[in-house]
Amino acid sequence: MEPLDVELDETEVELPTEPMLVNVGPSHPAMHGTVRCVMELSGETIHRVDVQVGYLHRGFEKMCERGTWSQVFPYVDRCNYVSPMLNNVGFSLACEKMLGIEVPERCQWYRMALGELARISDHLTCDGAMAMELGAFTPFLWMVKARDMIWDVMEEETGARLTHSFGRVGGMAMPPTDQFKEHTLAVVEQVLKIVDESEKLVLTNRIFLDRLEGVGKISAADAISLGWTGPCLRAAGVPYDVRRAHPYLKYSEVEFDVPVGTSSDCLDRFLIRFAEIKQSAHIVRQCIARLPDSGPVDVDDPRVVMPPKSEVYTTIEATIQHFKLVMEGLKIPAGEVYSYTEGGNGELGFYLVSDGSGTPFRVRIRPPCFLITGGLEKVVTGQMVADVVPCFGSLNMIGGECDR
Amino acid sequence: MPTFKLDDQVIDYQPGDTIIQAAHRAGVDIPHYCWHPGLSVAANCRMCLVEIAPPPGRPAMLLDVLRYDEKKGDYVKARKPKLQPACQQPVAEGMDVKSQTSEHVKEARAAVQEFLLLNHPVDCPICDQSGECRLQDYWLEHSGKKKRMHDEIVHKPKTVDFGPTIVYDAERCIVCTRCVRFCEEVVKDPVLDKRERGNLGEIVLAPGRLLDHDYTLMTEYVCPVGALTAKDFRFKARVWFLRSVRSVCQGCATGCNSFTDYDPRNQTAYRHRPRENMQVNKYWMCDSGMLDYRRIHEDRVLAARIGGSTTTTEAALVAAAKALSSAESGKTALLLSALHSNEDNYALLELGRQLGIESVFLAGKPAGKGDDILRSTDKNPNRAGVLLLLGDKAPGNIAALAAAIDGGKVTTVLGVGSDIEDPAFASSLAKAKLIALVTHEGPVSQAAHVVLPASSWAEAEGTFVNDKGMSQVSEKAITPQGGSEPAWRWAISLAERLGKALPFKKAKEVKAASLVQGASSGAQA
Repeated sequence: MEPLDVELDETEVELPTEPMLVNVGPSHPAMHGTVRCVMELSGETIHRVDVQVGYLHRGFEKMCERGTWSQVFPYVDRCNYVSPMLNNVGFSLACEKMLGIEVPERCQWYRMALGELARISDHLTCDGAMAMELGAFTPFLWMVKARDMIWDVMEEETGARLTHSFGRVGGMAMPPTDQFKEHTLAVVEQVLKIVDESEKLVLTNRIFLDRLEGVGKISAADAISLGWTGPCLRAAGVPYDVRRAHPYLKYSEVEFDVPVGTSSDCLDRFLIRFAEIKQSAHIVRQCIARLPDSGPVDVDDPRVVMPPKSEVYTTIEATIQHFKLVMEGLKIPAGEVYSYTEGGNGELGFYLVSDGSGTPFRVRIRPPCFLITGGLEKVVTGQMVADVVPCFGSLNMIGGECDR
Repeated sequence: MPTFKLDDQVIDYQPGDTIIQAAHRAGVDIPHYCWHPGLSVAANCRMCLVEIAPPPGRPAMLLDVLRYDEKKGDYVKARKPKLQPACQQPVAEGMDVKSQTSEHVKEARAAVQEFLLLNHPVDCPICDQSGECRLQDYWLEHSGKKKRMHDEIVHKPKTVDFGPTIVYDAERCIVCTRCVRFCEEVVKDPVLDKRERGNLGEIVLAPGRLLDHDYTLMTEYVCPVGALTAKDFRFKARVWFLRSVRSVCQGCATGCNSFTDYDPRNQTAYRHRPRENMQVNKYWMCDSGMLDYRRIHEDRVLAARIGGSTTTTEAALVAAAKALSSAESGKTALLLSALHSNEDNYALLELGRQLGIESVFLAGKPAGKGDDILRSTDKNPNRAGVLLLLGDKAPGNIAALAAAIDGGKVTTVLGVGSDIEDPAFASSLAKAKLIALVTHEGPVSQAAHVVLPASSWAEAEGTFVNDKGMSQVSEKAITPQGGSEPAWRWAISLAERLGKALPFKKAKEVKAASLVQGASSGAQA
């Protein structure tokens, strides 16, 4: 068969072109969620692009500031809704940092295991969606099949597949179920098998590789100055991972590698997520091995943790505790904190200000996606229009996080 | 001023002060149930126990106790300092008192809290005190321990009818005796007493009596828990939904400082609570004052009327302006109200001045029962304020106005206020063209030719001068109900229709313009 890229003599028909403005989005199949790109094209080359993220506006930071601290959990669920458990844990840790409390060991391992499962589901979604947007529908279904297995575990543990609202200040809503360990280990094995198959499906496809390789490059210095973190930054060769650089929970006690990219293109960003899935699976197995089968999950502090319902109905002490925590909310000492964890797409930071009352005075969320999406302009400028799709997909913008 | 140390903080005291009094004055809270600044010391709740360091060079007074050692599984001998109730212990110069900083005090308070809740029923969900209950606050602050006694609690009488206003629940009662001491010391009517001891203790009525003096609702107010509840407030609202404004009671000329608690969601007032002001009402209010909030919603006039039938605001204003402008010169009179604020009366006076109205009359509610505790016989909250506004010019009373109308000297009356001293004068008022700005149904609204609905004191900020000549501001709680507006705003609208302009437009401006000379400012707690 003849090669496709025959040298065509195009010099003879030079078409005069003028810059053309094209609106992509806010509602467009190439855009994840509601984001709008105003592109200035010269032929098929992008000269300039203006990325506008303000189309999804729920005002969620303000919403967080009108209830109690515990009522924030459902809101942070809806930041990165593909890995809500990581948001839940991140917010819990921020509140606990202000309170100066540390959850029991069992809870720490449990949070890590659930968090890494959430990270796997996040990366599977990103890589699957990216392949799908480039026309490869089978890998998407393949990876979502694995994601559904993880969500089965989540459903069994939390009662919800997507927005769990499972974190609590000072613990978790429930202790691990009896089947958690067995179920998780089985699922992790299945997921890794599916990831291997998915790799074979896409990485031997020349069209797929051609659309990613060398596309959407960014230098490490640019990525850092844009505030990039997470897989996108690591794909640019910077080995910054909050779990390694500033360990929280029990991350200093587990073994894992921080994969980094070499060429900082879309393919690197695609591959690094596969590599991280394997690392997360490794962490999950270590967590399962070290998760105690019994012992407290919540801290022993009546000012923070809800009493068991059976006691609420029968003893006045627990009724009072329940009343105070529900009606007034748990009180966090006046002050401010910046607490950060490794979310699905990078550093997920919470800057909280408390005035000592039961209601947050300020909840500022530093979502990794917001800053990464800010770099889209840099990534796609000079590329072809068709390259917007893989570039945008590889950045993994989550609309909920970009809510400003 | 002499000083002592409380938790290493230096605090001033006056000779004779107890520790809790001095701390209270300095704004430091020592937890307590039975102590009340306005009542005698009972020292029975033991919540305010503090540790007092021995004088220099003297050994501490230590008690031999048995302490349970969990490792040994047995009691071991130990010693601990003798703690003192802060409410009873007078302060001495340089005394070193430990409250929050002493482990012994913390332990004692947790134990007291455990004892108080030992037989407490699981009533928070159905208790009106919930949300402002000391048991709830202190459990979280000072105990936080789960229940250890799993036997059936001691049951005592519930929903005991104490009288026309109060219901008693002995199971919720911690027998602090605040209510007993209030009746005895403030009202001088020892109708309540305590019987039995320990966990059988309860509050009882004197044989053959009901709790029916004029300050019964104060017993509910001083109750730190939900043992005494007011029939008026029972199951009406949950306190955490209520917001408060600082108001002035409208029940009589004493001008007790109060809080008006209202629900912002349905714009409804639910109760009055006393607000501490040592120069006026100290810590107390009377029953009629506490229940006076009901008039905010009861019998209100909420729409304009002409000749007794409801009409639009516009039509009423046109009719009022026509009546005022067509009145024979010199035959128009102003009727001010001792129930309305300085702002309302001043606006009307100013309108009258611009219209050249000479004769001014003042009416209000008839005199009633008074006492030497709080209540004044004058049931009007602002008579002194209106008199100060008028200065040298003495207003005529309602009888004089009736006589002037009957004698044909007055044909048109522009009035504010819904009450007159005697409803019998209403027939005379009806003979004149009466344009009335009224809040409530009554003789005036019946007799009026044109009625404009004025909002009550709870719907606008207003200044009231009490019988001691103290000028006090009552804040706005809810938005004006129905078609009502503050009377001063009606005065502005009327002036516009008559081609006049009053020198104020906003609440702030009318407040500044109506400031009276000669009234002292009431301290706001």
